[in-house]
Formats: sequence, C-alpha cells, structure tokens
Amino acid sequence: MDGGNQIIAETPAALNVEKRDLAKHPAVQILLPIAFALAVLGLWEFLVDFYQVPKVILPSPLDIYARTVSAWPFLVQHAVPTGTEAAIGFLLATVLGIGLAVLLSYSKWAYAALYPNVIFFQLIPKIALAPLFIVWLGIGSSSRLAFSMFIAFFPVVIATLTGLNSTPPDMLRLCKALTARSWQVFLSVRFPYALPHIFSGLKIAVTFAIIGVIVGEFITAQAGLGYLILFASSQAETALILASIGMLCVVGLVLYGVVAGLEKLILRKYGH
Amino acid sequence: MISLRGVRKTYASPAGPIEAVAGVSVDIAEGEFVSILGPSGCGKSTLLMMLAGLESITAGSITIGGQPMTGPRRDAGLVFQDATLLPWLSARDNVLFPIKMMRLPREKYVARAEELLHSVGLGAFMDKRPRELSGGMRQRVALCRSLIHTPSIMLMDEPFSALDAITRDEMALVLLDLWSRHRKTGIFITHSIREAVLLSDRVLVMTKRPAVVVADVTIPFPRPRDESVQDSPEFTAIVARLRGMIEHSIKDAA
Repeated sequence: MDGGNQIIAETPAALNVEKRDLAKHPAVQILLPIAFALAVLGLWEFLVDFYQVPKVILPSPLDIYARTVSAWPFLVQHAVPTGTEAAIGFLLATVLGIGLAVLLSYSKWAYAALYPNVIFFQLIPKIALAPLFIVWLGIGSSSRLAFSMFIAFFPVVIATLTGLNSTPPDMLRLCKALTARSWQVFLSVRFPYALPHIFSGLKIAVTFAIIGVIVGEFITAQAGLGYLILFASSQAETALILASIGMLCVVGLVLYGVVAGLEKLILRKYGH
Repeated sequence: MISLRGVRKTYASPAGPIEAVAGVSVDIAEGEFVSILGPSGCGKSTLLMMLAGLESITAGSITIGGQPMTGPRRDAGLVFQDATLLPWLSARDNVLFPIKMMRLPREKYVARAEELLHSVGLGAFMDKRPRELSGGMRQRVALCRSLIHTPSIMLMDEPFSALDAITRDEMALVLLDLWSRHRKTGIFITHSIREAVLLSDRVLVMTKRPAVVVADVTIPFPRPRDESVQDSPEFTAIVARLRGMIEHSIKDAA
C-alpha cells in the first residue's frame, strides 16, 4: 500500500516540474508576452475591420500607428514637459519621503505625532485634492510638480520606514554592545538593510508621479501629454488620444526603467 | 572576575510584573568557561543580555573585574543564535565589522581577522559573502567576529541552536579549539546538555519560575579536551545527572 501511494503521489509532481521549467525558459518568457500582445492587436484589427467600427469610437491599431507617425514631432514635444515634471516630482518625493522616514524612525515623538497622520493621508483618494493644489499654487508647473510629489511621496515614506525597521534586532544589539554611534548604525547597517524596501517603494512612486502630472495637466496645462489627450478628445480625434497614451507608456517605461536599472545595480551589492 | 549578586529582572506587563530573572548570585573566574543550561523561556538570554550591558538590571548588581556594570562594554564579544552577518560584506569584512563600529583603525586588525578565519578553517572563504557560505561557516565567521577586538569575555546565546545536528557537533569542536587558543572568559547559553559538558568548566542549571540557578556543577575533565572526552563513562554520568536535575526542575515548575 505504501509503495502504491508513493508512485501515485510522485508522478504528477515530476510532470509539474518539467512543465514549469519550460515556461521559465528565457526565450518563452520574452517571446510569449510579445506573441500574446500581437495576437490581441491582430484580433483588434480584424474585429474593427469586420464590424466596420467608426474610427471615432475605436480606430484600428494600424490607424493609431499611422496617426503616431504623422503626429510624431508633436507627441515628442508634449512628452518632454510631462516626462520632466514627473521626473522632478519623483525626485522631490524621493528626497522628502526618505527624509521623513528617517526622522520618523529616529524620533519616537515624531513617529507618535506624524505616523498616524501619514496613514490617514494615505487613505484619502489623493486625486480629489488636485484642484486644491491649483487653488494654492496656480496653473503653472509648480502646482503639477507639487501634486505629483504629493502622491508619489507616501509609498516612499512607508517603504523606507518598513526597510529601516527590517534590520534584525540582534544586529542592532551587536552594534549597541560595540558602542557604535547611531549615525554609524544608520550608515553601515540600517540604511543598507532598507535599500531593497526603498527601491520597491520608488518603483511604485515613479508611476504615481506620472499619474500626478497627468492629472495636473488634465486640469490646467497648455502642454504635455495630458493636455494633448484632452485636446484630442475635444476634437474627437480618437487615434490621437490613443497615440498620446502610447507615448505616455513610453515615458513611463523610460522613467521606470531608470529606477529599475538603478535598483539592479545597487542591489547587486546590497541585495540580501 | 564576573560577580552577580542577587541579579533580578522584572518586566511590567498588563497582567502584572513578570519575573524573568529572580535573584541570581554567581561568581565566574577569569578564563573560565561557564555554560548556562535550562529550558527555553527561563531567563537565560535575559541574563546574558544583562551581562552584555544591553538590558537594565532591576535589582542586584553585576561587577566585572570589580567595576560595576553600567552599560555596554567594549570588552565583550557577542554571538547569537543566528550568525547575524551583514549580507553585503565579505567574511573578512564581517569579522572586521566591530572594529568599524568601535571606530578603531582597520589596518591594525586585518591580519588578525585573517588569522582568526584561518584558524576556523575558512582561509579559502575570506572574500565570500554570507549567502555563499553554509550555516556552519556563517556561524564560524560570527565566532571570529566576536573575538576580533580581543575582548576579555565571550557571551554566546545558543550559538549552535539553529544548525543541524551534524554541523552542531562539529561547531562545538571548533569552539573548543578556538577557546583553548584564546582563553577568554566564556559564558555559553545552551539547552544541549552534552554541548555544555563538553565545552565547560562549570555548568549552571537554570529553571523557569522562579528563574534562578538551581545547580552549579563543576566539570572535571582536564584541558585541552577533544571529542574523545564524550566517550568516557564519567561524561555520560555527568550528562545523566544534569538531565535528572532539569527534568526534576521542570516537574517542580509544572
């Protein structure tokens, strides 16, 4: 009976391992998502053609491509302010977020006073606050930067705080026993331990920063991809809306790529 | 000499005060290796942390070489259950970590770090990072790290508990050898009776509730020792006697 059970139990497990191995093959991991996306685009093209869907409702992928090519200089021109503002908003959020997290982790009083409020702010649907930023800072880029920073800031604070508290307690005991100064413990132990957490926060923050800029552009701007999307929509230029969104994806991908690349570089040394 | 006089530790808790250590009085001579043996949760670790100056003493006193204990002192080396190495540093840099934290000149200690690593059989692994080392190797690095700043006391909190049985036996011998070469005052917390008898000059048996030392057993085997000590009938007899004491104390507590 034992022997029979073992055979039944082992066979499917062995098969699973082989299947999973194939799915993890690098070629499969790269080619499969591309093939899937192409298949969806192909189906989209076919259905739009087949049902004669009006271009205002849904242009076909080839229409969008043609519009992207014809509007290219225009798209690039609008991508620059969006990308720049998102990058600056993200950098401000990074500096302020890490700074606040360090303060909270070193001062019990600051933590007690501020942390519940940080969580409270985190719960507000922050997009609802965007008009306030316009009221306070006007319709220039400063209101968009401030708003972008504001929504990107929270994931950085929370991730950094989690990271700074992730040092094993025995490690901190050892430092204390060696009479290490708290700045030494911070630089040599707590901050490096926090790096993987910080980067996971930064990767969320960078996408939030772009959302912040786009929301700001929807409300006020005379340039930028958010503005372009609204403008195209007022002209019922659906292909241009989708081309702008495509450009927005490129901006997002570039910014995210920079952060992820930096993460890879730094975690090669400081990853656990 | 380390003297503990009526050392107590009481924690406040919602359910009233909890007595983690309830009056321990012991003297430990310089160069002596003492194991503290007892069930988990009997306050052994708290006692060790008090000796490291990392926990306040509720009542009583600890003096080291006549000096009353007031806080962390640099002449203690600490080893924990987990190796607690910094993952991004090489074995060598991990051993040198205390030097950095104590703000001492690194170059004066590099040779000592390498010598220590050689002596525990890690000569070829000095540039490896913790994740490239086995559990036993990591704990060897931790042992070297505790000795780098030539402390006078080694405080070890169940350093081999997280290792598998075979590695654990091997590590006891590594420590036996390391200790015979450096001759520090050693305080070693464990719940392995054999380990305690093999390594120690004296074994203190601690119980839970009240958390006090109930027995102080001298281990008579001469130094230097090796693993063959464990084969003698005398060794077996001491182990059996200690086991009896611990079982007895657990029954009493229940």
